[in-house]
Amino acid sequence: MSASQSAVRSRAEAVQVSRTFDWMILFTLFCAVLGGYHIHYMLTGGDWDFWTDWKDRRLWVTVAPIVSITFPAAVQACLWWRYKLPLGATLSVLALMLGEWINRYMNFWGWTYFPVNICFPSNLIPGALVLDVVLLLGNSMTLTAVVGGMAYGLLFYPGNWPIIAPLHVPVEYNGMMMTLADLQGYHYVRTGTPEYIRMVEKGTLRTFGKDVAPVSAFFSAFVSIIIYFLWHFFGRWFSKTDFISDDAT
Amino acid sequence: MAATTESVKTDAAEAPLLNKRNLTLGILLYLTFYSFIRWYEGVYGWSAGLDSFAPEFETYWMNMLYIELVAEVLLFAGINGYIWKTRDRKVMSITPREELRRHFTHWIWLVCYGWAIYWGASYFTEQDGTWHQTIVRDTDFTPSHIIEFYLSYPIYIITGSASFMYAKTRLPTYHEGLNLMYLIAVIGPFMILPNVGLNEWGHTFWFMEELFVAPLHYGFVFFGWAALAVMGVVNTEVMAITKLLKKDLA
Repeated sequence: MSASQSAVRSRAEAVQVSRTFDWMILFTLFCAVLGGYHIHYMLTGGDWDFWTDWKDRRLWVTVAPIVSITFPAAVQACLWWRYKLPLGATLSVLALMLGEWINRYMNFWGWTYFPVNICFPSNLIPGALVLDVVLLLGNSMTLTAVVGGMAYGLLFYPGNWPIIAPLHVPVEYNGMMMTLADLQGYHYVRTGTPEYIRMVEKGTLRTFGKDVAPVSAFFSAFVSIIIYFLWHFFGRWFSKTDFISDDAT
Repeated sequence: MAATTESVKTDAAEAPLLNKRNLTLGILLYLTFYSFIRWYEGVYGWSAGLDSFAPEFETYWMNMLYIELVAEVLLFAGINGYIWKTRDRKVMSITPREELRRHFTHWIWLVCYGWAIYWGASYFTEQDGTWHQTIVRDTDFTPSHIIEFYLSYPIYIITGSASFMYAKTRLPTYHEGLNLMYLIAVIGPFMILPNVGLNEWGHTFWFMEELFVAPLHYGFVFFGWAALAVMGVVNTEVMAITKLLKKDLA
């Protein structure tokens, strides 16, 4: 082909071609990130995300931000550092949450009849927005990791509190004190995760009193910072355009 | 007048750069097929999928498994064989406009690949979770696995390999060498299928529960990360298309 020849006949056509590619790229990126992020998240933090009686003040608060800051950091590394698009984290989280909501409604409820108010997904949007805003205003990976990562971990519990609070009120049932969420789990027996492998309220975090969720959130925020750094570099690596030789000789 | 609203003159006799019909049909094909599959498992999961020793399980589920496995092998060989057989042997001498047209066709494949990944890795994988929380599994070939592992995963593998094969045989960008991220974006998600071997072995051997965050599942997680390599493919494509357009779009 001629090195000087353009494939389009006018600037208008070039713009139209470019816009069309934008939509096709966005759709593909959205779906691929959704698939990869969803399989990652459901298999590293999914049990806490599936069920209200797993959404406790210790492990859910600790695990969910740490395992979910991964793909946002990686996608930011591509979209911001290559295209100055400050939406990598929000795009990733919206994709994940769309996939989760479709599934909880169509399958958890539609196929196996768990009510949506026992299996709704965690809300990750506030943390993702802050990650993108810090990156946009700061234009710094370090700042986004430290300030954004910290905020991502800390905002998780407040971002979910209005949703989960009604299910954390205490109830007495057959002489036992439990939360309303526990009671949901009691009535909706899940064959694959019997009670003996439910990981909630484990450990001695209550030793110093009642501040369980803030301590968990701060620890989660600290690890989220480290994970952000790590996944930023994963994202850069996955953005490479290198070719390797296909010559077998 | 803004550039986006200027009229674009095209040669009436010339094929359009983007075949919108194929793009729409591609998306609708997956949507329609998976809607049918969802209906099928909704009905026959409950009525014939609870006891793997029952005759109706053989009829509605094992026969489905055998049919899909044969169909997938044939489809994989047929599509990739066709793309290879009809390859362009003078790919480096095509006109820039033809190259742009092929990039659009390539993106139809990539759109379908992304769409297929959504159905496999998101929709049917998490759906498998809720099935395991509802029934007591007595076989590795439980209905949700027959759909997830042995139908939706092979379908995205076939789509991804066809996309890669199309790029390699028809686009000058990919003619010399192998694009590393493209390889990872196709082979990584493919490796999720062999990893099913580990999963089923582990669940059968020592871990009958279905704790989703169990380390037994981390193989799926690792290979799921490979979906991020689509970013490298996007970057390669953006560079190639920008070079073809040779216009300032700012």
